[in-house]
Amino acid sequence: MKWIINNRVNAIYVIIAAFLLLLPFVYESRNMLILLTQIFVFAILAMSYDLLLGFTGIVSFGHAMFFGIGAYSIGIFMKRFEPTMLHFLYAVLATILITAIVSFIVGLLTLRLKSHFYAMLTMALAGLFLVLAEKWRTLTFGNDGFTFRVPEVFIDRTNFYIICLLSMIAVFMILKRFTNSPLGRVLQAIRENEQRTESLGYQVLHYKIAASVVAGVLAGIAGIFYAMSLRYVNTSVFTMDITLDALLMTIIGGVGTLVGAIIGAGLIEFAHDGLTELAKEHWIFERWIIFFGIIYILVVIFFPLGIVGTLKKFTWKRRKQESAKNKENLAG
Amino acid sequence: MELLFNLTLNGLATGMLIFLLAAGLTLIFGLMDVLNFAHGGLFAWGAYSGIWIYTTTGSFVIGIIGAILAGFILGMITEKWIIKPVYGNHIQQILITLGLMLVLSEMLKVIWGPNQLTANPPKYLQGSWEIGNMIIIKYRVFIIAVGLLVFAGVQFLLKKTKIGLVVRAGVMNKEMVQALGINIKKIFMFVFMIGSGMAALGGVLFGPYSGVIHAGMGMEFAILAFIVVVIGGMGNFTGSVMAAILVGLSGSFMAYYVPELSLAVNMLLMAVVLIVKPQGLFGGKG
Repeated sequence: MKWIINNRVNAIYVIIAAFLLLLPFVYESRNMLILLTQIFVFAILAMSYDLLLGFTGIVSFGHAMFFGIGAYSIGIFMKRFEPTMLHFLYAVLATILITAIVSFIVGLLTLRLKSHFYAMLTMALAGLFLVLAEKWRTLTFGNDGFTFRVPEVFIDRTNFYIICLLSMIAVFMILKRFTNSPLGRVLQAIRENEQRTESLGYQVLHYKIAASVVAGVLAGIAGIFYAMSLRYVNTSVFTMDITLDALLMTIIGGVGTLVGAIIGAGLIEFAHDGLTELAKEHWIFERWIIFFGIIYILVVIFFPLGIVGTLKKFTWKRRKQESAKNKENLAG
Repeated sequence: MELLFNLTLNGLATGMLIFLLAAGLTLIFGLMDVLNFAHGGLFAWGAYSGIWIYTTTGSFVIGIIGAILAGFILGMITEKWIIKPVYGNHIQQILITLGLMLVLSEMLKVIWGPNQLTANPPKYLQGSWEIGNMIIIKYRVFIIAVGLLVFAGVQFLLKKTKIGLVVRAGVMNKEMVQALGINIKKIFMFVFMIGSGMAALGGVLFGPYSGVIHAGMGMEFAILAFIVVVIGGMGNFTGSVMAAILVGLSGSFMAYYVPELSLAVNMLLMAVVLIVKPQGLFGGKG
């Protein structure tokens, strides 16, 4: 328990997590529960995106592809077979396998080239998957999508809420550990200066592919939860909108900070919910995404670190000033 | 025979439209090292503004001119306010141009509504010629002619004029050009505007070709244009026209024979190029 007591930030995390865990038992609101579940799911997606963008410096415009693979895997397994825990596990396994293979191939093809290529190829591949989902009607039922049943454990909304919350916390801790591991340190070195990392003797390509695979698999898992929360899947999971959501969440929340991705997910989902309500008042709010687009552009130009990153920078600066002052006092 | 001819004509017309989009992308990339993900948005803006002017004034020519002007203006604004602040930072550039794409396509829906707009070719371009038992649709020939004209024009600009010389030198070595006392920033803006104008022209030509335009079409065409840019070689202008024709033809033939695979074949081609020759099929620097 030392790590909680010694670190104020960790203590805050634990308190928030405990609060969220207890929330459904004290405050009963179905809408709130569903919204929060959605936030947890998208937080997983945004964190996986952050691993690429914030920690390794890779831009992907096809993250929806992995998300969609997860969503369709679970949908197809639950629809074709009995909705049991065993088949759920199969679906998870299938998702991990497919996303790992796809992200590996994409990484192998483009990560040795300039960063534009990865962005382009993922974007085009995601488009290909979208077409595939539309055309392969026997399996995906095309544009209309299909509903499916989920294993009993996931039927209860409160249960599902807690499972999603715990998964999000697990992914957060895993990624925290991952980015602080020696491998994660190399990834951050690549982000800062690729040539120098290479000249230090690291096989940059291998590390980048590793990051790409981990991010792809996690995005697939987010897709599984997303489809299960709706108990319905259609081609929208492969659209650019999902990628854009992940991108907005990561950028606005703060790149390279994991927590930023979670905060971003919360902000965007809450805002989406609120602005959809406002759309009844004035039609401009129906196009709520435009506000986020503008905010996003401004953030990229003026606050490239996002909310969390900018806050961190300020506290870091203050601390440095304080320590400088202390030193002066000691010297004086 | 008839069928083959028609498919070829169709493919060439589509190829020319993709070329108009890809040419700007590749020129901008070659000179400024910026891959403009918002280029598809400019294409859609050209289509909407051009078709809107065309339907209000009734003159297709004015519509085309309006679209090109809209492209120039948007290109100037984009270069000045969106791209300039982040020159030199690749990741920020990629991110910001995608954000712009989002804003541009949403703005279309705000101004012209979320529904599709319909567009028909003007009277003198409607219908077709019949030669023997072959039917040649006039509008397709028109698109191919315009595409070739633009290609020749840009080629002339690049190869025979002073400004083209500077652009070509800039592609090779920016710093050296600057050291010789040429304001490369002005050249950047010029090329960006030309590229945007070409994209807008492609958009307005596409309107009557497909009959309907919608806000999502920018993204669809942008993906094809990226494939073309990769196959032709990033920054290679002549490569982009060949690759555009290749992609257009393969698209039209595959769409007829194996429609499920039409996008997949182009993707596969791109993947092969990425593995074997990432600097593009048609030589040039990578």
